[in-house]
Amino acid sequence: MPPTHISNAAFKTLRASSRCSTAAAQRCLYHSYERPASPPFPPAESAILSSALSHVPSYGFTSDALKLGARDAGYLDASTNLLPRGVFDLVSYHLVTQRLALRDSVQFPSHSEQGAGKILGVGAKAIAIMAQPTYVPASFAELARLADEIWFLAGDTSVDTSWYTKRASLSAIYSAAEVFMTQDTSKDFVETEQFFDARLEDAIKVGGFLGSLGEWVSYTGHSAVNVLRSKGVRI
Amino acid sequence: MTARPTYSPLFDFLAPSIVTSRRLHTSPPSPPPIDASPPTSTPKNASPPPPLTPSQSAFLDSALRVNQAGELAAVLIYSAQNPLLIKSHPHLRPLMKHMYDQEAGHFAFFNTLLAKHRIRPTALYPVWTLAATALGWGTAFMGREAAMACTEAVETEIGGHYNEQVRVLLDWVEKLEERGEGVGEELGGLVEALRRIRDEELEHLDHAVENDAKEARPYELLTEVIRGGCRGAIWVSERV
Repeated sequence: MPPTHISNAAFKTLRASSRCSTAAAQRCLYHSYERPASPPFPPAESAILSSALSHVPSYGFTSDALKLGARDAGYLDASTNLLPRGVFDLVSYHLVTQRLALRDSVQFPSHSEQGAGKILGVGAKAIAIMAQPTYVPASFAELARLADEIWFLAGDTSVDTSWYTKRASLSAIYSAAEVFMTQDTSKDFVETEQFFDARLEDAIKVGGFLGSLGEWVSYTGHSAVNVLRSKGVRI
Repeated sequence: MTARPTYSPLFDFLAPSIVTSRRLHTSPPSPPPIDASPPTSTPKNASPPPPLTPSQSAFLDSALRVNQAGELAAVLIYSAQNPLLIKSHPHLRPLMKHMYDQEAGHFAFFNTLLAKHRIRPTALYPVWTLAATALGWGTAFMGREAAMACTEAVETEIGGHYNEQVRVLLDWVEKLEERGEGVGEELGGLVEALRRIRDEELEHLDHAVENDAKEARPYELLTEVIRGGCRGAIWVSERV
């Protein structure tokens, strides 16, 4: 295949995956309170994936877990073909449901640890799946939606350029902590927590510095203009 | 966190849909309204109304983003024009303040709407900031007539743009009513607000024309360039 064809095909895949698919990506658009969006996964997929998830602690994010899940939910093994992206759909289901459960765990913190604790042992494998080139755009999109969800739940209402910088920095810190976590052997992932806190501190410091720098620049600029105006310069 | 907002004395069993929607409308997004419990708002009908279609939510997404960007630009244009214009024409102070205050109100309105409905702001926010400030300062530097011609050109485009949005939303409202579904406070309130804002923008247009916008030299070139710029900015902001 000539290189232009390859790049065209790659571009198409990229566009197809970055576009808001109906499945997992409804969060990136207008969020209606009166007409809430339908659940992110259709019922059949949801049934298979949720029972497959219970096999993940023993089988990992593998096609075996998917098949067992399909059997548990009363479907044939072949019905895993419902999920075109296979194992990645399982990872994605886990991420999406955990993200949507965040709003409850913020309110009822006692339940928050359970879901994460069970899955963590196979986290490195999940990251490896997400890092496969085909799934990278979808993984980044999910990371962005997670960061958006966290800022929203934190009550952040900024809608200027800081909307982007806040989400970008949180995504960077989160993914760094995630990689750190795969190597973390401490009890209850204390070291990961410390790492995460330290990175957040850094981000707050840098953000504060940039904020005051911007304030200083704009203050100085305005003062200069006003001094010139008071001298009678027509600007 | 300790003091929860209290709405208890409201007789919400009399008009459930109005009361719940009012609460969503007036409460700040923190603590976020929990939308995972739709059945409470519709006791008369067990199932929640059908979700917006992807094209509908895409439309609202880009429309509200453009509106916020537009109002940001309007606020900055007026605030850049004000000092120069008022210095040479002190009698314009009340008018400019009136128009600026209205634009600031619109900007605040769209800011809360974006935060509430979780719409991302335009990625070119800094670009529009610079461009609008430069436009406001530049036209004020050229004189009163040029500044008013700028207002006229901008408000013409913006008024037409709001009109188109209102037309689309009214079309949805009509279809919802045909199907016998409630329009809801979200959509109804948005149509109301857009109409009010459009009327205020067109009022600014009239003020500008009353203040000799047409006397600007070169009128044609200036207004055409600004209107072209507005259309381009709207086109871009709908996308990024």
